Formats: sequence, structure tokens, C-alpha cells
Amino acid sequence: MFLELKNIRKSYGEKDYRTEVLKGIDLEIEKGEFAVLLGPSGSGKSTLLNIIGGIDEADEGTITINGHILKSLSKKELEKYRRNHLGYIFQMYNLIPNLTVRENIETGAFLSRDPLEIDPLIDVLGLKEHQHKLPNQLSGGQQQRTSIGRAIVKNPDLLLCDEPTGALDYTTSKEIMKLIETVNQTYRTTIIMVTHNDAFKGLADHVIRLRDGQIRKSYYNDTKIKAEDLEW
Amino acid sequence: MVKDPLRKRLLRDLKEEFGKYLVIFILMASSIGFVSGFLVADVSMLKAYNESFEKYNIEDGNFSVNRKLNLADKKIIESFGIKIYENFYLSISNDEKEIRVFKDRKDVDKVCLMEGKMPQSDDEIAIDRMFADNNSIHTGDVLKMNEGDFKVTGLVALSDYSALFSDNSDVMFDSISFSVGIVTDNEFASLGKPTYSYAYKYDVSPLDKQDEKEKADELMKKINGEIPLKTFTPQYANQAIMFTGTDMGSDKGMIEILLYMIIVILAFIFAVTASSTIHKEMSVIGTLLASGYTRRELVIHYMTMPLIVTFVSSIIGNILGYTVMKNICADLYYSSYSLPTYITVWSPEAFIKTTVIPSVMMILINLFVLIYKLNMPIMNFLRRQESSGRNRKVLPLNKHIPFFTRYRLRIFFQNIPAYLVLLIGILFANLFILFGLDFPDIMDLYEIEMKENPLAPYITMLALPDSINRDDHKLESSIELLGFFNEVESENETAEKFSAYQLKSAPDPAKSYNGENVTIYGIANDSKFISLDVSDHKIYVSSAYADKFDLKKGSSILLKEEFDDQYYRFEIDGVYEYLGSLCVFMSREDLNELFDMGKDTFVGYFSESSIEDIDKEYIGTVIDYKALTKLSRQLNVSFGGMMDLVVYFAIIVYVTLIYVLSKTIIDNNAQSISMNRIMGYSSFEISRLYINTTTIIFVVLLISSMPLEVYVLKLLFRYMMIAKMSGWFPLTVSKEIIMKVIIIALLSYGAVSIIEYRRISKVPMDQALKNVE
Repeated sequence: MFLELKNIRKSYGEKDYRTEVLKGIDLEIEKGEFAVLLGPSGSGKSTLLNIIGGIDEADEGTITINGHILKSLSKKELEKYRRNHLGYIFQMYNLIPNLTVRENIETGAFLSRDPLEIDPLIDVLGLKEHQHKLPNQLSGGQQQRTSIGRAIVKNPDLLLCDEPTGALDYTTSKEIMKLIETVNQTYRTTIIMVTHNDAFKGLADHVIRLRDGQIRKSYYNDTKIKAEDLEW
Repeated sequence: MVKDPLRKRLLRDLKEEFGKYLVIFILMASSIGFVSGFLVADVSMLKAYNESFEKYNIEDGNFSVNRKLNLADKKIIESFGIKIYENFYLSISNDEKEIRVFKDRKDVDKVCLMEGKMPQSDDEIAIDRMFADNNSIHTGDVLKMNEGDFKVTGLVALSDYSALFSDNSDVMFDSISFSVGIVTDNEFASLGKPTYSYAYKYDVSPLDKQDEKEKADELMKKINGEIPLKTFTPQYANQAIMFTGTDMGSDKGMIEILLYMIIVILAFIFAVTASSTIHKEMSVIGTLLASGYTRRELVIHYMTMPLIVTFVSSIIGNILGYTVMKNICADLYYSSYSLPTYITVWSPEAFIKTTVIPSVMMILINLFVLIYKLNMPIMNFLRRQESSGRNRKVLPLNKHIPFFTRYRLRIFFQNIPAYLVLLIGILFANLFILFGLDFPDIMDLYEIEMKENPLAPYITMLALPDSINRDDHKLESSIELLGFFNEVESENETAEKFSAYQLKSAPDPAKSYNGENVTIYGIANDSKFISLDVSDHKIYVSSAYADKFDLKKGSSILLKEEFDDQYYRFEIDGVYEYLGSLCVFMSREDLNELFDMGKDTFVGYFSESSIEDIDKEYIGTVIDYKALTKLSRQLNVSFGGMMDLVVYFAIIVYVTLIYVLSKTIIDNNAQSISMNRIMGYSSFEISRLYINTTTIIFVVLLISSMPLEVYVLKLLFRYMMIAKMSGWFPLTVSKEIIMKVIIIALLSYGAVSIIEYRRISKVPMDQALKNVE
């Protein structure tokens, strides 16, 4: 098993303000799988993603990725783990404002011992014409494509996407989903995507539905639909 | 392997944040330039001064006698272990100036020709370079003196007159109306009877100061045993030679205090800017950390540009220091002291203090702030949440407070650290401006006080010849003393006799205080000039003394003989309003008895008019308004230029601080400002929120901090006067000066605000929409 979560619990706040966000999550994800975490706002999707990504810590439970137990890793090892194995895409693109599209992608390549070729990737991302532009000269979709490029250029084992289309319009969202689909198929990258858009469940191999910090439903699609056929 | 693309940000960062880096650069480079210029000039000139003792063969002391020594006298005196050299002088003068002229010196106290040439013919003169500068006299000019016209052929520095003291007992030198000069031997001979002054050098140099003093005491007795001395001044007691070295050394201390204050300001600026950078880039940092960048890589990245700016500032600052600023500071010294030419020396101390320490400090502060700030959880960066607690308490604001006021209060709470730095900056800059502007006022007030409240319109100090103190010729001395007192009886109806004695206040190493001359006046019980009840052994001190050392009725003072360890302790019965000098008043009988001077002895007269019926030979000094204000006039000349520099520097500090801090506040709120614009706020309204908040706080801090600044200035001034200067100047800060400081501060602020207003009006609306930081 590539990723295994056992009894993950997480709370925020103290005493009267304490809120239990995750209430014992058990989950398994295979290598190369495209998993979608669905659920309404406040269901704990992003928190779970951040815990898998090692940027937030569970109060209880264990996470095993590729044989490594996250909890047992030191701060430095965790840093190394993120550096070598993870790619991150956020709803907000968080691009470096004074680096060009290409240079922003290079910030990901810099971290990897075996990065993807940048030029073909820029082609795949459809950013060839924009590669020398700064982020504030791009549309939202182009910025998100850049952030995807930055995440996948290091050829990660696991790509974590937190509402990657949350700030985009319909057409652009579809383009981005096509891109994520391509990444999954081309590079066999395991993808976990958090979304509240129910329509995306058809894209995934594995659908996990969360509500109130618990997995209400977890199932595998026998047949997937293509990103270009998505409608919502 | 892909090279770290973050490097490519550096130049772009520099371009985008050019204003911020420019003002930090200006402040650092000008501080380093100013302080290192001063230290380098100080070290170089101190070296030239110290070397001048050997280079120009400066005397070990001098004495004067009533007649020219013959060969036999010389032989006897030289048998006391010294070699003597004629160094006769006489004065030429006009109504305003006095020039003490010498023949050219060939062996001792040699002359440094700084411009032009030495006099070749009889109506020519070479005069002191500093005196010439202060009076705008150039080579080729003709001086009209009572003794005739003299063409100035050269400007010189006499090695035994690096400070132009006309009288060794003066409180301050006088480079405005007193000079020294060189004329040809023929011209010298034609000018009349000179003062028979002899310089001497020991055959065997003294081992240390104690040895030097013992040798001088013994020598004085021996010479006086052979020929009555008029004056005897060993090198260590000769202010014209020694004052410069002491004063230059103490300047260094002052400038270092300035440097440490600048360092504190820089430290705060670095801390605020580093913190602001992190705040601005929080989500980028979060993403980079989430992607696998290490904190170390990010620390290095965010350290690079401040390091480059520091490095460049240090280089430029040092270049400025060793060129322009050094020359300006050397000119300041040249306007106070008649120093020979100097060669710039490399000062490792100046480099370490001005460059290494601020740079290391900059690195450490940035490192500390960056490590501290980057140590937050990645989630906090991604959520742009600087403090760790989600449940951070928010200060409730009453809904009845107008909306704009509440908004401004929120901005204030958000930026408290920046405003604290602003407060420190205001304190610092205002202190400088206050001092710079107040200095001429202090001098003017002192002069007015001296004019309106002198001890007496004329204080005539008699000159007791040294020959009276001949231990081995007691009978001759007594007869001579009787004769002397007979000669100095004045018929002037306003004249009132007094006696006086010179002591030194006890040194206090803890306050860097070396002690200074205190005159003890023995006055008549019913003095017309000093209305004090000195009966029953009552003792009073002048208000200058009381102010300087915080003395009052009941305090005690400890005084000592200058050259031995005899101490005197006095209990004070009151303070007499007199700011002219540090002095003690008691009855004449008490003073004469205390110092074993003989019941009827007196050493001078207080009078309403000048005493004209005593032979000039017996008059030592006449202290009138001109003499009393010599110090303030000289200080105005010596430090007037320096005060302008201080004010300019303070303005640089102001502009830098206000610019950096206002920019930080606007940058931190760029997204909110953008959102405000989207919502329909006009640039003017947004400025009212963001700039006006800073304006209100600036004005409140500026005005409310004034009393503290005046208090601190008074403390520092007292410290400076105690550590550095004899005498006392009362420091008062007038309302006009305070208004001027406020106006300068507001103008500096206003200039920066215009730039900030433009910045606010340029914040694009899509900043909030596009999530571009």
C-alpha cells in the first residue's frame, strides 16, 4: 500500500474553543491512484490533506507513505520527505511575484534530483507563450497552471491538490482538471485532490466523502469519465 | 542540476524595493561615512599631533625671566640637566587682534609651513593658519597693526601652539583674536623689548608623568634660585601644547556614543524590515516550505539582499569616510586647532566599530528575526496567520466610536512594533536636532548672562612674579613681596580688593571626569560686588558650580591642590548666582588663613572701571566681558559647522525612518488597500485611513516626547560638560527651538507622506483579486 492512514484525529483550539476536525480517519490509497476527497466546507478535507502533506500534525493516529511512518520522521526528515516526494497545489496559486512563469516552475525543479524537462512540461501546461511573463500578467487559470507546473516538475510520487479550481471559472477549471488528469496518466503520479465540487468524483479512481470529520463513504469507480467530458 | 531560481529575484527585489534599500543605504553609508570620517580624522590627526613632538622637537617646558640670560647664566641653568633655547616673543596688535611674534625657530618648537613661504624681508610675517582661516586672511594680504603694516607671506602651525592659548590660565583658547606669527630676525629686533622666554629640553627624558612633574618642580626651584622667574611652564601644564591631544581624545568618546545610538536605530530598522518582508511573503514561503524548501535555504535567500546592501553601504561609507567626510572632520579640527599637516592613517579600530560591528549586528538581527519568523508552522504561513493562536483575543472597540477612528485604531494595533521604532527614531532624531539648533542659543544666552550678571565689570588679577617664591632667598623674596604690594595699591575709587586661590575639583574616573580649575575667592565681608554674607566662615559656590554638579545648601565639595595630594572639603552654605566659572566664595580673612597667605594679602581687584594706575607688569589678567565670553565665541567658531552637520544627519534619520516604517505599514496592508479600492474608497479616503493614522501617531509621539527629549538632552549635556569641558553653560531649550524642531520633523514627515500617498494611489485593485503578493 502506497499510503495508509490509521485512526487520524485532529482538533483545533483549547477548552471551550476546542473543535474536533477529524474524528478517526482510516484510509488506504494505492500507488498511481487518483483520489478525490469530497465534502462540504468544514468537513475536514483540507486538514486531512495537510496532515498527509506533513505540514500539519495529527493529534492521534499514524500515516504511512511508501513504508515511512510520518510520525517517526524528524523535522529534517520530514522536510526531506516533502522535498523529494511531494508536490502541492493550492487554491491560491502563491506564485513568487517577481519570478517569471518559467522561473516559478524552476523553483520546483531546483528541489528535485530528477526533475522533468522544463520545456516539454511548459508545452504540456500550455504556457509556452507566457513563460517569460510575471504572475501579475497572467489570468487566474494561467497562474494555476504555473503552480501545477511548479508542483509536478519535481516529479513527485504524491501530488496534493487543495481546491485547485476553487478560484477559477468553468472553462478554466476544466482545463486545469484535464491537466491534472494528464499528469496522473503520463507520470503515474498518485494524486489526492480536495474539492467540494461533486462533479469531479467521476474523474477519480477512488472517491472519499467526508462529513463532520469522518469518512461517510469511500469507493472506487469502475469506469472513469474524462476531464473534457465533465459537466456541472 | 537546476540552480536556485530564487537568486533571480534579488535584482528584481532591489528594483521593486529600491526606495527601502536606498534609504537604508543612505542611512548606513552616511553613518559609517560620518563616524569613520571623524574617527579616521581623529586618529590621523592625533597621530600627527603625537608625532609632532618628535618631528618638530617640541619643548619639555619654558620659562621667562626679566632679562636676557648671559652665557654664565645659561651654563649654570644647563648644568641642571637641560638644554635651553631662546624663544623670545613680543606682541603686535591692533584694536581687535593680537599676534605674538617670534623669530623663526631652528632647533626647538619648529614651525610647520602649511601655505606660502616664510618671511624674507622686514615687513613680512607668517601667521597661524587657523587664525588666518577664522579671520579670512590669505597669503598676500596686508595686516594693519599698531606697529606697522605686515604682508602675510605664509600660513604656519607653531608646534608649541596647537591650541592658541594667549595665557596659560585661560579657560579656553582663542583662535579668533589671538595668533602667533614669525617675522625675520631684523624685524623682530626692531619691534622693541621682547619677553625673555626660554624653551628647554631635558638631557634625559622623564620616565613618566610623575617623574616629569618631580623633575619640573625641582628645576623650577633651581632656576628660581639663580635668577628670578617670571613664569615657569612645564610641558604637561602648557595648555597651548597639551589641550589639543586631550580634547581630540575625548571627542572620540562622544562620537562613539553617537555611533552606538545609530546602531540601535539601524538594529530596529533591520528588525522591522526583515519582519515585514516575511509578513509580505507569507503564503509564498508557506508554499515553498510545503514544496520542500528548507528553512535554511529561505533564511539565506531573505538574508542575501540586506547583506548586499550592508556590504555596499559599508564600502561606500568607508570610501566616504576616508575621503569627503574625513576632510570635513579634519577641517573641523583645523578650525579649532593649529595642527600641522597630517597623513591619513588606516584605522582598524574605526573599521571594526563603524563597519564590522554594524554589519555583524545587521546579520545577527536579520538572522534572529528570520529564524524566529520562519519557525512558524507551514500552515500558519499558508493561512497568513502570524500569531499561533486562532483564538487570539481581539480588543473590543465600542461601536459608538466613529468607523474611521476604529479602523485607524485597528491599523495602530496591527503596527505597534513599527510605531515603537518610530518613537525611538523620533527621540533619537529630535535629540540631534534639538542639540544642533540649541547650541548657538546656549552660547548666546551665556553671553547675555555674562553681560548682565558679571561677578564685577572688571576683575583685575595681579601677577605675582615667580621670583617671590624663592625658598633659598627668603629675605629677598619678602622684600620683593613688600615692594610688590606697594606697587599694586590702586587709587580707583570703585576698586575692591579680593584674594583668590586656585584649586582643582577632585577627579572622578567613574564619570570620566579629570577635575577642573575652581577659583576660591576671598571677598570683603561687605563686598559691593558680591552680595553674600561670608561672616562666620560661610562658604558659597557659584551657580555654575552648583548646576554642573547638582550642589545645594548642605552639599559638600572636595577640592585638591593641582600638583600634590592635599585635599580640602567644604560644606556649602548657599549658592551665588554666577554662571561665568566654577568658583567658591568665602571671606578674604578665611581664605588667607586657610592657604597661609598672610592676613592682608590680596591678589586682585573687583572694580566698576578699568584699573589704570597699576603698572602693566603687575597685572596678570583682566577678566571683562570679552574675556568671559572668549569660551562661548570660540565654541561657536569650533562647533558651529558641526552643529549644521548634526541637524542634516538627524533629518536623514527622520526621512529614513519615516519612509521605511510608513512603507512597511502600507506594504503590510497592500491587500486591504486594494480591497478598499475595489469597494469604492477613493485614494484620499484610503490615505486618511493609512497615512493619517501614522500622521496622527507621529504628531502625538512628536509632541508628547518633547519633554523627555529635553530631559535627556540636559542629562547628556551635563555628562558632556563634566566629561569634556571646564566651566558650565546653562542649557535652556526655548519654545522657539521646540517649534523649530517640530517644524523640521513635520516637514520631513510631510515630504515622505507625499511619496507614500502616491504609493497608496498606485496600489492596484487586482492585488486583492489576483492574490499576487
